Amino acid sequence: MTSAACHPAEAPEPIASTGALVAICGPPNVGKSTFFNRLTGLRQKVANYPGITVEKRIGSLDLPNGGRVDLIDLPGIVGLHPRSEDERISLDVLRGASPATPKPTVAILVLDSTNLQSQLRLVPGILGFGIPTLVVLNMSDDLSARGGSVDAEAVAKQVGAPVIAVSARQGTGMEAVLDFLEGAIQPPPPVELPVLNNIPAERRWAAGVARQANFHPPEPSLWGRRLDMVFLHPVAGPLIFLAVVIAVFQSIFTLAVPLMDAVEGLVSASGDWVGAILPDSMLKGLLVEGVWGGVGSVVVFLPQILILFLFIGILEDSGYLARAAVIADRSMRAVGLEGRSFIPLLSSYACAVPAIMAARTIENQRDRLATIFIAPLATCSARLPVYALLIAAFIPERPLLGPVFGTRAAVLLGMYAVGFAAACITAWLLKSTVLKSKPTPFMLQLPDYRWPTARSLSLRLFDRSKVFLRRAGTVIMLTTIVLWFLASVPYTDGEPPAIGDSLAGSIGKTIEPLVEPLGLNWKVGIGLITSMAAREVIVGTLGTIYEMEGDEDSPGLQAALRSEVSFGSAIALLMYFAFALQCMSTVAIVRRETGGWKWPIAQFAYMLVLAYVAGFVAYRIFG
Amino acid sequence: MPEPSLGSLADLPTGTTALIDRLEVDEGDQVRLMELGFIPGLSVSCQRRVPLGDLTVYQLDGVQIAVRKETASKIRVRSTEAPGEGDD
Repeated sequence: MTSAACHPAEAPEPIASTGALVAICGPPNVGKSTFFNRLTGLRQKVANYPGITVEKRIGSLDLPNGGRVDLIDLPGIVGLHPRSEDERISLDVLRGASPATPKPTVAILVLDSTNLQSQLRLVPGILGFGIPTLVVLNMSDDLSARGGSVDAEAVAKQVGAPVIAVSARQGTGMEAVLDFLEGAIQPPPPVELPVLNNIPAERRWAAGVARQANFHPPEPSLWGRRLDMVFLHPVAGPLIFLAVVIAVFQSIFTLAVPLMDAVEGLVSASGDWVGAILPDSMLKGLLVEGVWGGVGSVVVFLPQILILFLFIGILEDSGYLARAAVIADRSMRAVGLEGRSFIPLLSSYACAVPAIMAARTIENQRDRLATIFIAPLATCSARLPVYALLIAAFIPERPLLGPVFGTRAAVLLGMYAVGFAAACITAWLLKSTVLKSKPTPFMLQLPDYRWPTARSLSLRLFDRSKVFLRRAGTVIMLTTIVLWFLASVPYTDGEPPAIGDSLAGSIGKTIEPLVEPLGLNWKVGIGLITSMAAREVIVGTLGTIYEMEGDEDSPGLQAALRSEVSFGSAIALLMYFAFALQCMSTVAIVRRETGGWKWPIAQFAYMLVLAYVAGFVAYRIFG
Repeated sequence: MPEPSLGSLADLPTGTTALIDRLEVDEGDQVRLMELGFIPGLSVSCQRRVPLGDLTVYQLDGVQIAVRKETASKIRVRSTEAPGEGDD
């Protein structure tokens, strides 16, 4: 529809002009984020709501008329009675009651058009917030592909608000969103919506609207049924779950190798180039040994992290992850947690910080505390560079299950299993003592299966690269620079000291008695100190130390490690990293989420003791 | 064919359909369950029991939802053949 058709005489009055805030809301699993990504593309960022830490996704959108509006993607809501923190935030923002977010100028309510008779129930509540609202019937491709249909215009007449049908996945119908924001869609005359305060009546009203609008529900997806028959099969289900996990771990090693070689080549070539063009000076030493030796050795692990996230993205977007959660529910229950804890725990395999935030969705406070406490025990992606380095240096690659599964992947999988077991045992201890509580109703919606789109997967990887490289450029860069200075003083006769005589060296030697029971020397000891900031810093630290020590043809980090650390100590080091809470961001977020120092201190101490004892035992066994 | 008399959702055999009758939980949980689709009068069918655990997948108001046995046992259902709502 063109604007001229509606208003022959003048340009339409825009509904949203520059600076306006457009809130995207709706139930979970209706493709809100896909819709948001489709409108904003790369112009989005993730921030936190102040005080409370549910992820806040904001982005911007250019309108054809030259205006630019801000978009906010609100957490999913199933009604107007919030039970968890993230639902409360969505409703607070819409109501204009959120402290740092202004009341939105416009709301876009996204619904799943394959299930309208139920989803329309939300319409009166959202229109009740009194802001201009566009109702988007998403997944129209799915609706028509399965033989369903609906008359969007007729829905609009019934609810008294503009209604459009789109497919955010395919990008069809999206131009109508821009038309709406520019004021080019003539809104239907408002209708008196029934004042409803009971859910059965709302549901009957929604079914009535759907019927009047000639809504024909789609045929149930046969593919989905067949896939569930396999993925939730008593025998095949758990086996497939295991196979998927094994495949992910193996590809972290095999698929990543050529990419890592490429990054490594790039890092060392650029380091050589910087070394060649700079005259011998302190700056050159800092850049070549500190920055390239330190930060460079961490950046090399970017491909492995991206491969992990690519797989997590595929599993999540396809709908398999919810089935995996159902299969895993048994073990969550055995340790006394509700199944909802599984999702934060799963995301803490990426990073404990968002996982601890995601624990906000858990209604039971004691379960929430237990989930926060055990989240850092799950193997986060910051441990991956450390594990990958140690495993590649100390574990020879041999096939185990033919060519598809080798010893290195097996050890890596074992490390994840160790973390998972520690998390389960800790949860069980907490839930049977200080955090005992009565179970709450648990249920998990199983979304329809969908093909993951390249667009959404690449947005995820782009996001993840930004986070990883930002860390490499800030925390890791800073600690390696400080370390480099500590390792370069004191000067004697105008010459920098041998690293063992430097300030860093004496700090390392002071704590050597502490790490000796694990079979580690003072150099690794320095790494254990610097990695208190963030786990992967140890890779950068060892990179810097060995780079500073090495002569022209340094044998590389792996060979240097092999010559100084025994097999038993390497296993001890792996165990230490599996358990210790070496991550300042996690400590900070736990303090904020639990409102005090009690929990983060208890957590830090508990994990340190666990790490030290496990390292000691491992060294005794393998040393 | 389910019994016309009342039973709990947890006892619904796989592959059968029934109508939700009432929710025997406290008021807060009632609102929650209804918002998730457990609305008296709607039909619910038992899709499959999940291996290794006490979750069951139900088809309810257009979505598939996995529910634990202890929750399902508090949801009373009646046969689709039973007299409709509004009789009392």
